[in-house]
Amino acid sequence: MEAEYADIAIIMGITGAMLSMLGMGLLIAYYGSSKTRNVGFLFLILGLGLGYYLTTTGSAVELHNSLLAFVGGMLGGVLGIIAFLVAIIKS
Amino acid sequence: MVVVHYAVIYMNLSMNFDDWAVMDFFVSMLMVGIGVALLATGLFTSYFGAGKSQKIGFALLFSGVATLVIVYALTFDTGLGVADQFHEKEFKQALVSGIAALAGMMVGMFIILFVLMKVDTIDDLEDLDLEDLEDLDLDEELKKLEEELNEAAGDEPAGKEEAKEEEE
Repeated sequence: MEAEYADIAIIMGITGAMLSMLGMGLLIAYYGSSKTRNVGFLFLILGLGLGYYLTTTGSAVELHNSLLAFVGGMLGGVLGIIAFLVAIIKS
Repeated sequence: MVVVHYAVIYMNLSMNFDDWAVMDFFVSMLMVGIGVALLATGLFTSYFGAGKSQKIGFALLFSGVATLVIVYALTFDTGLGVADQFHEKEFKQALVSGIAALAGMMVGMFIILFVLMKVDTIDDLEDLDLEDLEDLDLDEELKKLEEELNEAAGDEPAGKEEAKEEEE
């Protein structure tokens, strides 16, 4: 693997982990019980830390384009599943 | 004295839309996403489905394969005379980005689930008085329940009531 692809893989891997930490952290911090709420806040702090690392450190990865690719892939997956559901329901 | 200069390279988060390669990154991955989703759902439906749904599964499978073949033909030189719409290098970068982000999300979710399973999530466990449960005599409780039920049903047995209703 070329170094450029490795950089993209590492940075986008961290981005994915950051997104799940922030999303799940928010949910757990809001809806969690008194004990799990603290864990939710911990995940939120971890997600913010990863975000800080992403914006200040790293290589010259064009993050806007990589994020475009990620959003496009997710959207495509959702559209594909919608097409499957439409085909099944209409049959 | 040697002075070391560190070059801090910041992430390129350009908000200038001219820098955004929408065609190479977004559209290509959108088509790949649709293709993979159709392929996966088609595989499941054609394998587990029966009759009409199995036929739909084969149609979905064919659509998924066709979509992926079209993306491949639009990206790489296949010798079919199709003009390349996506640049090969950018397409590979987009693919690596998408897969890496998905893998990162899975790792993040795994960490979250692992931590949540390790954390004691029950609030009121200390409030549970287990001594009360140990002192409980189940036979006595059962007798009490039976007595209460008998009192609620009245003195007459249920069979006699039904016979009276039939006579009327």
